[in-house]
Amino acid sequence: MSLQYLKDAAARHDAEALIRYVRLHLGDGDEGRGRREIDKAWVEALKPLLDVPPTDREFIHETLSTKDPATLAHLFFDLHFYLVKRSGEWIHDGNL
Amino acid sequence: MTATSSDREQLRPGLWATVNERYPGSMITKSDLVPLTKLGKPLAASRLTFVSTAGVQPRGTLPFDVTHPVGDYSFRRVPSSAEPADLEIHQLKYPTAGANRDLNVVFPLERLRDLVAEGAIGALTPDVYSFIGYNMDPERLERTLAEEIAAAVAADGAEAALLAPA
Repeated sequence: MSLQYLKDAAARHDAEALIRYVRLHLGDGDEGRGRREIDKAWVEALKPLLDVPPTDREFIHETLSTKDPATLAHLFFDLHFYLVKRSGEWIHDGNL
Repeated sequence: MTATSSDREQLRPGLWATVNERYPGSMITKSDLVPLTKLGKPLAASRLTFVSTAGVQPRGTLPFDVTHPVGDYSFRRVPSSAEPADLEIHQLKYPTAGANRDLNVVFPLERLRDLVAEGAIGALTPDVYSFIGYNMDPERLERTLAEEIAAAVAADGAEAALLAPA
């Protein structure tokens, strides 16, 4: 699955081709595992908020208002790995 | 040296076809001749550098970006005098458990220094080089990262290079 393949998929709005790559990336080559990793990240994102602790809303607002879309998208991938690491179930062979 | 390794023949000519056969849709295609460069003098009189995809870097430096879906096209200089305790691995895509116990299994600085001490290698360059191998844009890899490392290696006065994928 080449970068050009992904760019072509984005150009024709082929979401299924793109999400398949994301699952493969997050699942280290295993699409099913990648799907479960995405779910796991969302579960881990939800858990700390259930008690409604104070959060730095200004930081979030400023970050979303001032940073470019590529940086924010990059941050989204970083947050995914941050959250799955917090889960305590680390499927990857290597280190962040 | 094998029969196919003359300086006008492609070294392992079927390599890319094999890769693409085994990994359909792979980003790797290459038909350019990559001529073999013969060593100009004995290794025992040569200054060797080391280039690795192991994601090894000095502790405290910005970690390689292992989360970006298209890869990280930066490299790190690692002093060839560095001790394993001075270094750490940032790489998701290969098992690092063994390397965490003994870094030499992927980044054999201590073994290379042993070979220098024994006289098998003339010397090491002041720095060796490390990057991560998960990169989706081989054109960018070739035109930027590989060129940058090649320039740094040349500036270090390297006469031979040990290339080691992780």
